[in-house]
Amino acid sequence: MTETLLYLIQQLINGLTIGSTYALIAIGYTMVYGIIGMINFAHGEIYMIGSYVTFIVIAGLLGMGMVSLPIILIIALVVAVFIASTYGWTVERVAYRPLRGSNRLIPLISAIGMSIFLQNYVVLAQGSRDVALPPQITGGWTFGDPAVFEVSFSYMQALIWGATFVTMTALTLFISRSRMGRACRACSEDLGMTNLLGIDTNRTIALTFIIGAALAAVAGLLLGLYYGVVNPFVGFIAGLKAFTAAVLGGIGSIPGAVLGGLVLGVTEALTSAYFPSEYKDVVSFGLLVLILLFRPSGLLGKPEVEKV
Amino acid sequence: MKRFTKKLLTLSSAIALAGAVSAAQADTLKIGLAGPATGPVAQYGDMQKIGVMAAIKDINAAGGINGMKLEGVIYDDACDPKQAVAVANKIVNDGIQHVVGHLCSSSTEPASDIYEEEGVLMITAASTSPSITEKGYQLVFRTIGLDSLQGTLAASYIIDKAQPERIAIIHDKQQYGEGLATTVRNVLEGEGMQPVMFEGVTAGDKDFSALIAKLKKENVDFVYYGGYHPELGLILRQSREKGFDAQFMGPEGIVNSDLAKIAGEAAEGVLATAPKSFDQNPVNQARVEAIKANGEDPTGPFVFTAYAAVELMKSAIEKTGGTDPEAMADHIRANPLDTAIGKVSYDKKGDLTESTFQVYSLHKDGSKSPVK
Repeated sequence: MTETLLYLIQQLINGLTIGSTYALIAIGYTMVYGIIGMINFAHGEIYMIGSYVTFIVIAGLLGMGMVSLPIILIIALVVAVFIASTYGWTVERVAYRPLRGSNRLIPLISAIGMSIFLQNYVVLAQGSRDVALPPQITGGWTFGDPAVFEVSFSYMQALIWGATFVTMTALTLFISRSRMGRACRACSEDLGMTNLLGIDTNRTIALTFIIGAALAAVAGLLLGLYYGVVNPFVGFIAGLKAFTAAVLGGIGSIPGAVLGGLVLGVTEALTSAYFPSEYKDVVSFGLLVLILLFRPSGLLGKPEVEKV
Repeated sequence: MKRFTKKLLTLSSAIALAGAVSAAQADTLKIGLAGPATGPVAQYGDMQKIGVMAAIKDINAAGGINGMKLEGVIYDDACDPKQAVAVANKIVNDGIQHVVGHLCSSSTEPASDIYEEEGVLMITAASTSPSITEKGYQLVFRTIGLDSLQGTLAASYIIDKAQPERIAIIHDKQQYGEGLATTVRNVLEGEGMQPVMFEGVTAGDKDFSALIAKLKKENVDFVYYGGYHPELGLILRQSREKGFDAQFMGPEGIVNSDLAKIAGEAAEGVLATAPKSFDQNPVNQARVEAIKANGEDPTGPFVFTAYAAVELMKSAIEKTGGTDPEAMADHIRANPLDTAIGKVSYDKKGDLTESTFQVYSLHKDGSKSPVK
């Protein structure tokens, strides 16, 4: 294979990995939006907390002399998911539920406030510096002639692809097949009516937030391990990119969030690959504007039908 | 309404009284200490704080300046230009007339406009961007060399010692990093060495895989990075994972132990230009011991530049017999002084006349050693 082709493959692998990281976070965003039509700006912060918990647990277990990596990762995952879900539930209970039924802008402001609160709370509790963890999952596959251009695909990247695909499938099935999923869909169609029919909507919405936060924790664990660095501000940037991905794919749609994430990631990687990398954000956000001009509800979003 | 007005009057007179009280306490002189106390580059703010506080402690222990004690007041700009402006206004409102700071060039520049206008003496111990002193300000000084000197030193090292075949220059699109990267590129091009790449990354990004693949494809064997350690640390770490093993070099903004924490093994052998290790200077031995005894690290590049800034203020107050910033600035400009960083003399812009940078090799345990 020629160098040009190998280089393209490498950049596509990079782009799909970046895209999967956006998608993992975007799924949580889009799910909450799909159910209650509210953008949960604190979602990025929950992801950041998930990363911190992972780091603390892994550092603690390594410090205690545990060596088996799979066991360490499973414990870290369980703890991170549990703690992040608690945060997700609490945020909903404290900042959003009391505002239910008020003007749409009010919970939005509350969400931004919650995001700033959580970020500063972590700054105070953990310090504002980068916290680093040595690489845990190393190695990968390489192919191509080293003399021409060697393409590398690490195990960690494969894990991120896999996790994104699995969570997307599992969630889609959950929403379309399970009893709780049906309740979620009912809530998204008409909250008042669902309530009248005897479904506990508060419980359903709380569950949505818990699932969203659990996904953010999975993302926090994977991306924390992948980059090896976390600071209290990663949630903001990641949240912004994930939000973009969710809008691009059609907010409210789970496969849309994944597709949006992948499109954004691949665009970024290919722009960096063939143009000076400072144009990365210009091109990817230019693309966002273009797509929204021609498809206002995103790639896979359903056109909004005004309820009468 | 009437009661409200009355309350307002009482309140404002109380504020006026409070102002009078603080003005009466002339036996302590407050020195503003502006820099990042939070945020991703708070380490550098700590270095500045360690230096200034050590100097203040030494001066107060020796009886103060003309019987006047010093007090350091910390202001946090988080290395954010917008916050730096707010901090500068707060310092002016608090009646402080002497500032050590700011730290990041992009914060120092907007803040210096306010200080010059409001008659506040500012000495930065860390900002190296040339444009800060190019406005002809009278009250702005620095105790550190310029980017242009640092960049020139880096470039001449690259040409004479490293002699790479294909060099790439990467920067973080901020005033400090891009300024340095541009200087290095200009010097290299002047000497006939053409960089194969000159590109910016976004500060705060976590994924540099696309950039690294590009460097690898271009067969780059030397990378100069203009910026700070959080991004370079990740670039190094991801380069190692992707099997890209060029020689990296950066400015003093990458010199701190967190680079090694982030990059791990990949931090070994990275080159950096930094102010000379003033903690190795015999003059500073007692100060180094005192800082260590305090449980703090005296080896940061800005510790003794900050110490020297306080020394300059002290000497100017003693010689001019007052704390008037303008008289002090004239004195500092006219009279060279022996300080913790050696002899300090200024040109009329407020820049040091002698460069104090040196090339270091960084190690994976966070330490550094000079390169001959």
